[in-house]
Amino acid sequence: MSSSLTAAPPGPGGTELVTGTYEDALAMVGTTREVTFSSHRVTWALIKYFCAMVRDANASYWDEEFARAQWGGVVSPPALLLTWVMAPEWSPGDPLPAPMLLGRVPLPDPTVISVGTDMEFFRPIRVGDRLNAEETLREVTPRKTTRLGSGHFLSTESVYRLGDGTPVARYVHELFRFTPGEAGAR
Amino acid sequence: MIPGVDYSQRYWDDVVEGDELPEVRDEITYRRVIMNPATTWDYFPGHHDPEYARSQGQPTIYINTMHFLGFIDRLATDWGGPASFIARRKMSMRNSIYAGDTMVGRGRVTRKYTDESAGETRHLVELDLSVENQHGEVCAPAVVHLRLPRRPGA
Repeated sequence: MSSSLTAAPPGPGGTELVTGTYEDALAMVGTTREVTFSSHRVTWALIKYFCAMVRDANASYWDEEFARAQWGGVVSPPALLLTWVMAPEWSPGDPLPAPMLLGRVPLPDPTVISVGTDMEFFRPIRVGDRLNAEETLREVTPRKTTRLGSGHFLSTESVYRLGDGTPVARYVHELFRFTPGEAGAR
Repeated sequence: MIPGVDYSQRYWDDVVEGDELPEVRDEITYRRVIMNPATTWDYFPGHHDPEYARSQGQPTIYINTMHFLGFIDRLATDWGGPASFIARRKMSMRNSIYAGDTMVGRGRVTRKYTDESAGETRHLVELDLSVENQHGEVCAPAVVHLRLPRRPGA
């Protein structure tokens, strides 16, 4: 039986973790990270490569004529939401992208895993859209012990919007920041 | 029409609560896991570096969150058709899918309903879905709220 170590999807700046106490973390609840503006638009090429990986034959992703009539253009699989605001890890003259909020929550534990996601979509994401994301720390639980080890559950909520402010999606991400323990050993 | 592309559409009117979705099986080769970083820009080493995965106590590299999400959405929209829309999807991650595993998707309609909250009548179904491995272990249970079109003339 495997332990569930699906990693947190890394965002701009990766997931290097800030250390601190639970009280430090609680003081951060409600904090909103500066809005991340994507440096690029949603592109059909990446949509096709992703659908090839998933083996998804949906006409909305492959047939421009169908997609234009149905959605106003070729759309992105909803699962690619996070990718559309990821920043390249290097660009000329730019400082490193700011780290994700989850990495900035001060806690004593050395590692983090994703345990759940909840996404709500208000409209399709179309080729040519340029998204931005605003992420807020919603909750840090008291210390809990699971089969992986002991640590704290965190949740963040992000709102994804178009450049004109139209909301596209709401994303709640649940994570476990933990110290691997005997119980978590395989 | 492009050959091989899926155009078949299901209508809200024809769905019955309790309907089962067709099972979807997918063999996840090493190459397919490596396609995760390539197609989602997620370079976490657990998805491309077996040595790193072993240092985490994992047998080898494993698929990322977005691959799970994409497979769940595919399960829902393969059944619902290309004019269906994922309105909401909630997923938990319990176990990993490793290179060499087979992903098995299953699902069932648990509710058929309408929603007026967005200022229009939307026709939706709630699907209970699960992604299992070839040993029958549930790796990622999910609930999807899928918007479906009405049957023309309905």
